Amino acid sequence: MLDFMTSFTVGSQSKHGLKIIIVGAGSVGSTLVEQLVKEGHNITLIDQNPESLHSITNLYDIMGIVGNGASYSVQLEAGIKDTDLLIAVTNSDELNLLCCTVAKQVANCNAIARVRTPDYNEESNYLREKLGLVMVMNPEFEAAKEAARVLYLPTALEVNSFAHGQAEIIKFKVPEYNVLEGKPIYSLSRDYPQCKILICAVERNGDVYIPSGDFVIHTGDVLSFVSTRQNAKLFLDQIGFNTKQVKNTIIIGGGKAAYYLAQQLLNMGIDVKIIERNMKRCEELSILLPNAIIINGDGSDTELLKEEGIEFAESFVPLTGTDTENIMLTLYAKQISNAKVITKINRSTFKNVIAKLDLGSVVYPEQITSEAIIKYVRAKKNSYNSNIQTLYHMFDSRIEAIEFLVEKESPATGIPLMELTLKKNLLISFINRNGKIIIPNGQDCIQIGDTVMIVTSHTGFKDLEDILE
Amino acid sequence: MNISIVRYLLGQILKIEAILLLFPCIVAFIFREKQGLCFLIVSAVSALLGILLAAKKPKNNVFYLKEGCVTTASSWIILSLVGCLPFYISREIPSFTNALFETVSGFTTTGASILSDIESLSKCMLFWRSFTHWIGGMGVLVFLLAIAPMAGGSNMNLMKAESTGPSVGKLVPKVRTTARILYLLYLILTIVQFLFLILGNVPVFDSICIALGTAGTGGYSIKNDGFASYSPYCIWVTGIFMVLFGVNFNFYYLFLYKKIKKALQMEEVRTYFTIILVSVLIICIFNIGNYTSFVEGLMHSFFQVASIITTTGFASIDFDQWEQVPKLILLALMFVGGCAGSTAGGIKVSRIIIFVKTVFKELLSYIHPKSIKKIQLDHKPIEHEVIRATNVYLIIFILIFLISLFFISFENKDFTTNFSAIAATLNNIGPGLSMVGPMCNFDHFSIFSKYVMIFDMLAGRLELFPLLLLFHPALWKEYFSSRKGTI
Repeated sequence: MLDFMTSFTVGSQSKHGLKIIIVGAGSVGSTLVEQLVKEGHNITLIDQNPESLHSITNLYDIMGIVGNGASYSVQLEAGIKDTDLLIAVTNSDELNLLCCTVAKQVANCNAIARVRTPDYNEESNYLREKLGLVMVMNPEFEAAKEAARVLYLPTALEVNSFAHGQAEIIKFKVPEYNVLEGKPIYSLSRDYPQCKILICAVERNGDVYIPSGDFVIHTGDVLSFVSTRQNAKLFLDQIGFNTKQVKNTIIIGGGKAAYYLAQQLLNMGIDVKIIERNMKRCEELSILLPNAIIINGDGSDTELLKEEGIEFAESFVPLTGTDTENIMLTLYAKQISNAKVITKINRSTFKNVIAKLDLGSVVYPEQITSEAIIKYVRAKKNSYNSNIQTLYHMFDSRIEAIEFLVEKESPATGIPLMELTLKKNLLISFINRNGKIIIPNGQDCIQIGDTVMIVTSHTGFKDLEDILE
Repeated sequence: MNISIVRYLLGQILKIEAILLLFPCIVAFIFREKQGLCFLIVSAVSALLGILLAAKKPKNNVFYLKEGCVTTASSWIILSLVGCLPFYISREIPSFTNALFETVSGFTTTGASILSDIESLSKCMLFWRSFTHWIGGMGVLVFLLAIAPMAGGSNMNLMKAESTGPSVGKLVPKVRTTARILYLLYLILTIVQFLFLILGNVPVFDSICIALGTAGTGGYSIKNDGFASYSPYCIWVTGIFMVLFGVNFNFYYLFLYKKIKKALQMEEVRTYFTIILVSVLIICIFNIGNYTSFVEGLMHSFFQVASIITTTGFASIDFDQWEQVPKLILLALMFVGGCAGSTAGGIKVSRIIIFVKTVFKELLSYIHPKSIKKIQLDHKPIEHEVIRATNVYLIIFILIFLISLFFISFENKDFTTNFSAIAATLNNIGPGLSMVGPMCNFDHFSIFSKYVMIFDMLAGRLELFPLLLLFHPALWKEYFSSRKGTI
């Protein structure tokens, strides 16, 4: 869903950015405002609650309108006629869809709706097509997908996929006494010739590097590497990691993300246990997920967790609505079991604190949403020779991984990579040519029709040309 | 209680029975039998009674589930009382109890007979026996619903009381259309089987009787030796059709409306076929040495399994002579029965599924005391009320079974006979084991035991609740107090 791209009508584009209306001043709304303001767009925020609106308008240079975002007159007041994009992220799926439909009918405006209910999720493509939306996003579903990818490869801290799942960026931490310790990066291709991988980013002591060949790996480094799925497993296997998927998991909280995750894990053959406080929700889940074990109880009750075997669980995923609870549960689980833990963080307010806590794998649904929207917005702003296919923020947004589709000739195409003058802190990670993943060396050149993935600590890349000095 | 609507509906039922009694007259006319006159007389009496009862239209058309149950239970009793008269007045079955037993056994699609020499009966009587199976199979009230227009949505309560299975649903929004579709499917399947039998050179009269008996999953044979004298082709065809009539009729409806995938995914139907397959395989292994060829062993194993699980009760062989394991499997299958929404009796596969799932849920709650699990069937949650009713059903079933067993034990027959006799009547099978085996009959029981079994057969066919409700004092208390109020 997120890698969907569409042709769009070019609206009134000011040089300084697009005109964007956001409906809903919730947590996703505020994250979006933060990100989009950073990228230099003109934002109008609509919400029915003046207080939550003011708390955001006080922080950022945007316009706020109190009202129902689905109402025609409110949209007119917000200037829907010359708006490039409307993003509806209220709590209600139906309201979001209605907002977008009205915007589409009134001003033929490009519209993005957040739709989270499982009932609609299965038909989101149909909804998007029939209602003429540019994107229907489901952060809970995407977060669940990300969590499922990590549980498929539990040694990884994070797994992001590119090129329709053919290539992956995998993040892992170098443990003590690992074979990699003290090795420079250039020696990897010599020592492990059959696994074609490329280390594209390293985090050490809170700093993030895009490493060159002579970078020496230390214990405690967090490495990100790019490769195909099979090669990634092979590589991790050879450096002494366990690459088997987990056999069972305990999920705390029975929200939408929990449902999506459980569904995917059950399909992968993983036993799922969900602990949820609300009796009614438990019954619903038991109907939706007949093969999962649904426990009615307080997920922060340590006795209950022990009774349900947290000490022997292979993985543990707290997905409650409260971040503090999720973090406490994660720390508790890390203390008493060897389970692989994935933490869901809804608000990124305490990102710096969280980074120091060593929580392991962390999923930010809000970040997933904003990544998807920024990808779309950046692609919309350009009329260049290439198009953004995928975009991920890594290492707390300090590094961007972007996949471009090369559509036309440009100064970056047709020339061997060693002859291009690339910006610093930038790496061309792979070239996807007709479905074949190439980890490039200096002799390879970018061709039209390729998709190219780059990793960079620069932000705001919109076109492949941006990689050149 | 709205007694006038019950009276009115009983009148309608009697009118229908008067018409149904004319069919054996046609048979008597064809075969030039003077017993046809008995049917004509009974038909006239039935019509007269019906017209009298239904003369005054009730002012209040509304009836609730209790009226539905009372109507159903009392109409089945009246139906049987009238239906047994031809046997009795023609003196072909001289004892009234025996005549009633034979008729109840027919209407409830049990197929347990008190006759030792079946072939001595006249053709029209034989036809009437088989025809009662067909009428009782789908239910006479469902038939009434299909033909008679009735106001209000409350007529669903009639259907609920008469149809089989833990929860009765409609196929289409209207009860009347649902009832019509059911009868149409029923009729078509019966005719198809009849045609298949004709193609196998089975005599026309035999074909009709076999088809009627199979469709209602009844089990009256018109031969003394059951199916032993028919060709293997006839046995195969009947066996397959027995299995087909044991399938939930929703299955055929879905099939007809091209929802084949959904039809094939029906959990109950799948379980039903799995049970049949496994049982046939096990019995087949035990029977390998007993028959001249593997195919013959397979044929008899399949026919007997199909006959017992669908609660038909035809026999192609005296399975009482089989070894212990096959006999035990057959006895177990008696309790399983067919699918809900079919013409078969027994506890029903869907109830068995619910029982098994409840057991697993209970076991799970020991491992995870706080776990929540909804029992699902066909990926849809089963309401708590249905599960409760299903569990109570089992309790009542066992109680009735034990009490009946106690009553007939006074005759000091062997345990196998007593046990299988109650199993065969309460589950509407027909033949049991030992002294009530497929080649024997029920005539040796005392009059009292026969009435116990008549009750069991009716209770089994109506799925216990409607018949028990008829004896519940609270219902009658309410009825008499309401009458006082009107006077």
